[in-house]
Amino acid sequence: MDASLSPKPEAKKTRIYHWLDERLGIEGMLVHAKEKTVPSHKHQFWYYWGGISLFFFVVQVLSGILLLVYYRPGAEAYESVRQITYDIQFGWLIRSAHSWSANLMVFAVFVHMFSVFFMKAYRRPREFGWWSGLGLLGLTMVFGFSGYLLPMDDLAYFATKVGLEIPASIPLVGTIVTDIVRGGEEITAVTTQRFFALHVVILPLLYLPFLAFHVWLVQKHGNALPPSEEEKPAAERRTIRFFPDFLAKDFGMWLLMLNVLAILASMYPWQLGPQADALASAPQGIHPEWYFMSQFQILKVFGRWFPGATGEFLGIALFTIGLILWSIIPFIDAESKNGKRAKLVNYIGLAALCGLIAVTIWGYWEL
Amino acid sequence: MNYPFWNVPYLSGGGVIALIATYHLLIALFAVGGGLYLAVAERKARREGRTDWLPILKKHSKFFLILTAAFGTTSGVGIWFAIGLANPEATSTLIHNFVFGWAIEYVFFIVELTTAAVYYYTWDKIEPKLHLMIGYIYAASSFLTLVIINGILTFMLTPGETWLSVAGSGNEASVFWYAFFNPTYFPSLFLRTLICWNLAGIWALVTAARIDGFKQPRLKHEIISWSAKWLIPGFVLVPLCFLWYLAMVPESSKQLLDLGISTIGQGTFTQVTRSVLITVMTSATILALVYFVAVRNSKSFGLGWAISLVLLAFAATAATEQAREMLRKPYVVGNFMYSNGVRKSEVEKFNAEGYLTHSPWAQTEVKNFYGDAETALVKKGELMFRGQCGACHTETGYRAMKELLKGRDERSIENILTTLHDYKEDSPYRKYMPPLVGNPDEIAALVKYLRTLTVPSHETALQQSTPLKTETKN
Repeated sequence: MDASLSPKPEAKKTRIYHWLDERLGIEGMLVHAKEKTVPSHKHQFWYYWGGISLFFFVVQVLSGILLLVYYRPGAEAYESVRQITYDIQFGWLIRSAHSWSANLMVFAVFVHMFSVFFMKAYRRPREFGWWSGLGLLGLTMVFGFSGYLLPMDDLAYFATKVGLEIPASIPLVGTIVTDIVRGGEEITAVTTQRFFALHVVILPLLYLPFLAFHVWLVQKHGNALPPSEEEKPAAERRTIRFFPDFLAKDFGMWLLMLNVLAILASMYPWQLGPQADALASAPQGIHPEWYFMSQFQILKVFGRWFPGATGEFLGIALFTIGLILWSIIPFIDAESKNGKRAKLVNYIGLAALCGLIAVTIWGYWEL
Repeated sequence: MNYPFWNVPYLSGGGVIALIATYHLLIALFAVGGGLYLAVAERKARREGRTDWLPILKKHSKFFLILTAAFGTTSGVGIWFAIGLANPEATSTLIHNFVFGWAIEYVFFIVELTTAAVYYYTWDKIEPKLHLMIGYIYAASSFLTLVIINGILTFMLTPGETWLSVAGSGNEASVFWYAFFNPTYFPSLFLRTLICWNLAGIWALVTAARIDGFKQPRLKHEIISWSAKWLIPGFVLVPLCFLWYLAMVPESSKQLLDLGISTIGQGTFTQVTRSVLITVMTSATILALVYFVAVRNSKSFGLGWAISLVLLAFAATAATEQAREMLRKPYVVGNFMYSNGVRKSEVEKFNAEGYLTHSPWAQTEVKNFYGDAETALVKKGELMFRGQCGACHTETGYRAMKELLKGRDERSIENILTTLHDYKEDSPYRKYMPPLVGNPDEIAALVKYLRTLTVPSHETALQQSTPLKTETKN
């Protein structure tokens, strides 16, 4: 089109489009997005969970920035959270949304991990997706742990105190690392400053590149087919367009999750307990957040069965072996054919999932 | 109080009613809207010669029959059990006034159930015209059940001046129609009818989602688009009807809503406002998802999405009903009976002569109780709690006293109870809580009991000797 002609509204739009396209390559992206397809089958529900995790992360960032405006780490930590919760307009809602979405995010990440596992989406060429995902899971959990202390109410204080027993039980370096993180042998105002730095600067700096890498890999390799779909002849496999069909559904799922979050955050607002008092006796049945419960319980039980350092060592050894095994799953089950090994790995996954749930329930049972 | 107190740990009696009623409503409102949907859809299919629609409609009528006749009816009976146990005084008031209302409703109800079954079982067996007529009879009779029950439900919020002027005289039934066509009757009837149509559309998507969109894309798209249209009247007119409804509710209810709106920033006194906002949010989400996920992506619209829409409708229904219940606070029957079953006219008597002394069932428990004076006092306080607070509160769980009174000592609890007992004009509690009734001894006993909920277990020996505290662990 000749740009010198007097432009009609439509042509004007096109000129802007061309201007942008020349600089950003929109045309290419649109063509690519329209060509891209997503498999459509009975297990497709599980495809949403990566997006759901991302959504809750976005909520974490936005609500976290708002909390950052009023939160003051250090000696005033509790007072500032009290102000956020009771004095500042809508502070209760923002804080509640932040806490709820943190828990929902951890939950979504776990669901995502296990669904990827059972769909065997870690197989060639998606190994790096699996590993970067495990990295993101680890960082998510540290995010949760470091954020939990920040209000410095009694629950946060004592839960962090017992939670730090997990890293402290790592042989040789455990105590030193824990002391550094804590800023001493006890949890004090200094600890909130360290946890704050970790929570809002260090972890995001580590998390974002991992996330970008992870999302780029998903974009590069596309959605993996579960074994039951792979067995079908190519002609029988169904797909839908990524743009705009799957994207509309993905955003629909975000909207659905926003509803879940809003209902939880507004109807069950996150509470603030009394200020932490190191000299007071711990409230009964103190325990870390639910996603650390299984590790906590295993250490507790091993400590009971094997008194002294042996119990701790065995507990940590179990986690380490488990984690290594979980990381090398793509090598154990590398082939795309579904033979004996694939079945064995399925059983390992089932055992891990059931074990995790059972030990967590056991932990709550024993409180 | 002529009935025993029903104690439901964690949930409260009101919580049980809420759970059963929300579940029931979701199906019952579908039963009203869905009947019309089936008849109109069948008429359209036959007129336009769309024979491919008929097997889908038959399938939908089967789903409809099972859902409404099995799950809808049993949960309806469940509501009777729950309200009878949780709020016997209010239930008794309703029965005394509306026994003929229910008799009429049951006639329509039997016609409704019969025609629903006949409609499904006569597909392809009788003349299409006759079959369609059965569908219309079903639609009409199910709508008439709504016409009746709506009178009784709205009566509870706005019984109307005429009824209130004879309330307690024994002549209430003489003003039956005044009570029935009370101030909120018509706005509520329109609101509920619109919601019935919305639910007809949403539930129809459950059946539509099961059509294989890759094999029959056109059929699936047409049925989804047509079903989605059932949501349009509701979404256009519900806001207007809601404003009409609000114009008719009593001043005290409006004040409660105002209080909620003005304090939403602090998050206090806002439950009703939060519920209304959740209704707005979930309804808007339903509309967006129906358009973008169902209509625009009909081919791959699956059962999971349809169920998600039903769950959103469940949340919207629950929030609306909660808001409606909250608007009625502090009454269960507007301006006549408080939410804990105490009649407004009885307050003076209970304050002078005692609350438990007028409760024969509680008296038996007090007399039969063995223990030292202190423990007996706590027990008496517990009975006060069950009788007057248990309709809305629990010890640990829904609106838990343990949480609400956390950290308060005996004096501070006493202050709250005094505020509730005095029930002064400017008390904020007055807008949603009934007055605390009873003589000073009974109120002192309630203080003692509530204190046992706030004291950490190791601090008092009394707590260990009180059997009712055994379940409280943290």
